[in-house]
Amino acid sequence: MKEYAYFPGCSLEKMAVSYHMSTRETTRKLGIKLNEIDDWNCCGATTYFYIDELLAYTLCARNLAIAEQTGLDVVAPCSACYKNMYFTVAHLKKDPDLAEHVNFALEEDNLHFTGDINVKHLIEVFCQDVGPEELKGKVTKPLTGVRVAPYYGCQIVRPQKEKEDVEQPQFFEDMLSAIGATPVNYPLKMRCCGGSLMISSRTAALSMVRNLLQCAVDSQAAVVATACPMCQVNLECYQQQVNQEFGTNFSMPILYFTQLVGLAMGIPAKKLGFGKEFVTLAPALLQPGQVVPVPD
Amino acid sequence: MTNTLTFGQEVENLLQAEEGEPLRNCIQCGTCSGTCPVAGFMDYTPRQMIAMINQNMKDQVLESNTFWYCASCYHCTVRCPQEINITELMYALKRYSIWNHRHKAGLVGPDFSEAFVKMIVRGGRSFEPVLAPSYIFSVGMRGFLLEIQNATELLLKGRLPVIPARIKRLDNFKRMIGRIIPMGGLE
Amino acid sequence: MEKKEKIGVYVCHCGTNIAGVVNVGEVSAWAADKLKDQGVVIARDYKFMCSSLGQELIQKDIKEMGLTRVVVAACSPHLHEKTFRNASKGAGLNPYLTELVSIREQDSWVHTDKVAATEKAKAIISGGVSRVIHHEALEPLHVPIHPDTLVVGGGIAGIQAALEIADAGFHVYLVEREPTIGGHMAQFDKTFPTLDCSACILTPKMVDAGNHPNITLLTYSEVEKVDGYVGSFTVTIRKRARGIKEADCTGCGICWEKCPKKVVDNVFEAGMGNRKAVYVPFPQAVPKYPVIDRINCTYYIKGTCKACEKFCPTNAIDFAQEDEIMNVQVGNVILATGYDPFDSRRITQYGYGRLANVFTSLEFERLCNAAGPTGGNIVLRDGKTAPQVVGIVHCVGSRDKNYNEYCSAICCMQSLKFAHLVRERTGAEVYNFYIDIRTAAKSYEEFYHRLLDEGTHFIRGKVAEISDAVRLPGEEGKLIIQVEDTLTGNQLRVPVDMAILSAGLEPRRDSKAVAKLFGISCSADGWFIERHPKLDPVATVTEGIYIAGCVQGPKDIPASVAQGAAAAARILGKIQQKEVALEPVRATVNEAQCSGCRICNNVCPFNAILFHEDKMVSEVNPALCQGCGTCVAACPAGAISGTGFSNEQILSQIDGLLFLNIPKKEAVAA
Repeated sequence: MKEYAYFPGCSLEKMAVSYHMSTRETTRKLGIKLNEIDDWNCCGATTYFYIDELLAYTLCARNLAIAEQTGLDVVAPCSACYKNMYFTVAHLKKDPDLAEHVNFALEEDNLHFTGDINVKHLIEVFCQDVGPEELKGKVTKPLTGVRVAPYYGCQIVRPQKEKEDVEQPQFFEDMLSAIGATPVNYPLKMRCCGGSLMISSRTAALSMVRNLLQCAVDSQAAVVATACPMCQVNLECYQQQVNQEFGTNFSMPILYFTQLVGLAMGIPAKKLGFGKEFVTLAPALLQPGQVVPVPD
Repeated sequence: MTNTLTFGQEVENLLQAEEGEPLRNCIQCGTCSGTCPVAGFMDYTPRQMIAMINQNMKDQVLESNTFWYCASCYHCTVRCPQEINITELMYALKRYSIWNHRHKAGLVGPDFSEAFVKMIVRGGRSFEPVLAPSYIFSVGMRGFLLEIQNATELLLKGRLPVIPARIKRLDNFKRMIGRIIPMGGLE
Repeated sequence: MEKKEKIGVYVCHCGTNIAGVVNVGEVSAWAADKLKDQGVVIARDYKFMCSSLGQELIQKDIKEMGLTRVVVAACSPHLHEKTFRNASKGAGLNPYLTELVSIREQDSWVHTDKVAATEKAKAIISGGVSRVIHHEALEPLHVPIHPDTLVVGGGIAGIQAALEIADAGFHVYLVEREPTIGGHMAQFDKTFPTLDCSACILTPKMVDAGNHPNITLLTYSEVEKVDGYVGSFTVTIRKRARGIKEADCTGCGICWEKCPKKVVDNVFEAGMGNRKAVYVPFPQAVPKYPVIDRINCTYYIKGTCKACEKFCPTNAIDFAQEDEIMNVQVGNVILATGYDPFDSRRITQYGYGRLANVFTSLEFERLCNAAGPTGGNIVLRDGKTAPQVVGIVHCVGSRDKNYNEYCSAICCMQSLKFAHLVRERTGAEVYNFYIDIRTAAKSYEEFYHRLLDEGTHFIRGKVAEISDAVRLPGEEGKLIIQVEDTLTGNQLRVPVDMAILSAGLEPRRDSKAVAKLFGISCSADGWFIERHPKLDPVATVTEGIYIAGCVQGPKDIPASVAQGAAAAARILGKIQQKEVALEPVRATVNEAQCSGCRICNNVCPFNAILFHEDKMVSEVNPALCQGCGTCVAACPAGAISGTGFSNEQILSQIDGLLFLNIPKKEAVAA
């Protein structure tokens, strides 16, 4: 039984509640136990680093210190949360002076951060800790014929941690193949969705989202799979704005990979948070086993 | 005798915690700007920013929108042949800009950031509705209406928080932040 | 009381290099006074000891005062040790009784405190004086030079070297791993800046080398073992079995014509074309004999076919042929094993290997070559469409900390050459994407101007990525090169039909193993290390082993040829002298104290220590030993001492340094 300290992140409460639901359902079915970190606080997203580095690290370190008390590794479904916490661990371990300052602040909440903890992205758990073989074994309704664009986004793979491939990784595609889907060749799979630029520089972000959606259409994807709430919201909830701005006609379903995995494992769609989308899915998608026509 | 720092040195000082080669090592190859998905919307490309910092062109740098438009996707950083951490530079410039109250007029980023930070200080968790005033009036009339439409749809689908979440040990949390930055400084 | 030596101390000003920090007058006066007890009879200081006048000072004193030891305090021994030793020799004093101590690199150049630096100079000189008393008169070791030479690598550098030595009347073994000599130069189409046809200028030299009475050509062969030392190396060479009886083969070509097995030629054709299982790499191969590729030949896989044997008119096929092991004696070796191209697959964002119409530089050379897979037609991967827009990417895998930090020297010129060939052959629009244009050698800048005249579009910007994700009208079916034009500050999407990656040069994949075989070293990047980067680029620290061409670092053909000739000249000089004098500064094992533990055998970086099984003792080969001192330090029994750096000498130097030869009763705690 694999067990992790689970850091949902602020978005999963409401904005990305489907991600939260499908994560719970799929991990349970895979025999993974997720223990939500007690009294966790916001990781700071990118914004805290605009204000002060030390403060941003402290915010993350608080969560990590609480998690350390459980002795479990941390898993985060959101790419920004993952990246922030991973690098908090890395930098504090490398720089004892920084760690000292952070721990000085943590004292106020009776916490101490040692650095003896690992941080993983949820998709890493699926692709590495579980692995395609085991995943395949749990699939009862393979998503045969469903063409999925694997959208990695930025902060899962970048910045580079070890010597991994940051330009053309394949682990997302391998996972989609394991659940019977057809991962399409999606050239912009590593390109940024704009992140918080949707708020602060709307024109730029809309243009970036437009390119991503166009590329998904050109790659003949029926659905785009994401692993980050920011990406999902940007790509899905602003399709109408994109269409208004550029005169396009997108209606591309954007789902969390856990929702697709859940479908393949035969979990009822309602439990996976379906029904909360802005872009209605082709009904056929909810009954895997049938070929899905490409949306025009 | 005080040793006045050049602008370039000031920026370097803001990059302590991060790894990466110094800015002066930049060979101006343009890989970062060729890669950047937002470069077309920036006043100056990331490469130009670095050239300007190395020339201590403080005013032009702070008056540009470049670093406020950085999405921190890190693509420039992983490709830079001189292993300069360009994304962290953008973060550093944002920090410099906020603490010196200097930025280009009409940018949403600085106000949004301050609103976000205050929101976290108040509750320890994010609560999106409180952020709306910082940007909703900058997207034009059509944008405004579409944003209202979005918010409504999110609400109906149960995806918009209505009650702000708060962590339990909020007092400890506030004091913890206070040990880093005195509360007055953040407000 | 044993007879005291008569020591002369000479303190150099070196202009202001030393005198600007160290008070040289004070130091020499101090030496004359305080070191009298040690035997110093004269101490002088002079502006430039290394000048003729400076040397004459020493010589005069040796002759008139009967000096028996000399200590010069000046620059590093790396520079002038030989100068002063020769000066002493000229005056009749054994050169090894002269010691040069550095008060420049180790004192005046590294300290700013003048008082402390002066005191330190005194200490250094004191150490030198204490040490030189224990020096012995040594005679250099003379070893005979075998007149034969081994050249490893049959590219242009190796061919040039072999021809120079052979033309001078001496015998050369030219060993080449591939079935033919010629190296990478044989793969190119045209050479910059003259646009000479590469094969046309190379093949005459190849033919010369193949026919030369003084060159023994050993192709399809590799060096397996090297024993010995300068002047008498014993080299074991494996001549791999071609499967062809060379005495009978006429090179008619019927065997490869009839061979039914096609194989992708990954070596010569860079994977762009095919060859047969029995083949010559290219028509002008030297020697003309083909080779049977046993990995792909049907006979060796299944035992059938043998079409070549059936059709060979002279019965020259011999499937049973075995590798031949040869042992040869040579006096000197030149390593000219060349480079490997950077693997462009590593830069995944450029799409090589994933996007069809991204080509590497070597692939493109084969496209251009009239004897290549497309008959010299520049076409896309489909084999027929000519490109209308071509993008050439500079600096692929070079000048990049993520791959290789160094500049590969030839890629700018290579890229310009490509631009010209594309324009000339196809009329296509050409874009060159560069960071800098490095056209430094003769006629190179003019070549760049020619390309500017031809209308090549130069965009200053390192390519960020090459993608097939088309987005804008006019991009359909094209590759998009995404780049910032740094001169205008605009991010561009340049649609092209074909992208050529000017890949950098890397050391051969097995360069570390080859270096070890010959007892030399590689730099951090993997290139072989020269004896001195400025003044001795073709010799190595190992006597008798020379390097030439790209094996020493990326360079163009003229530089490779020059290095090949230079190495040859050095060796011819040695051969003419018939013997070479080796530095007598080396280690010796005291057999009586040696316990046979063999720790020294493994620590020697020059493989200079042998072990005698019968006597169970180690012995240092004086010809290979470089006097590095590693074994001296490593020996647990202290059984190894160095002539020229004995324990006695070193300990005395330390004593002299620390105690400044102050009589015990005067010594005070520091």
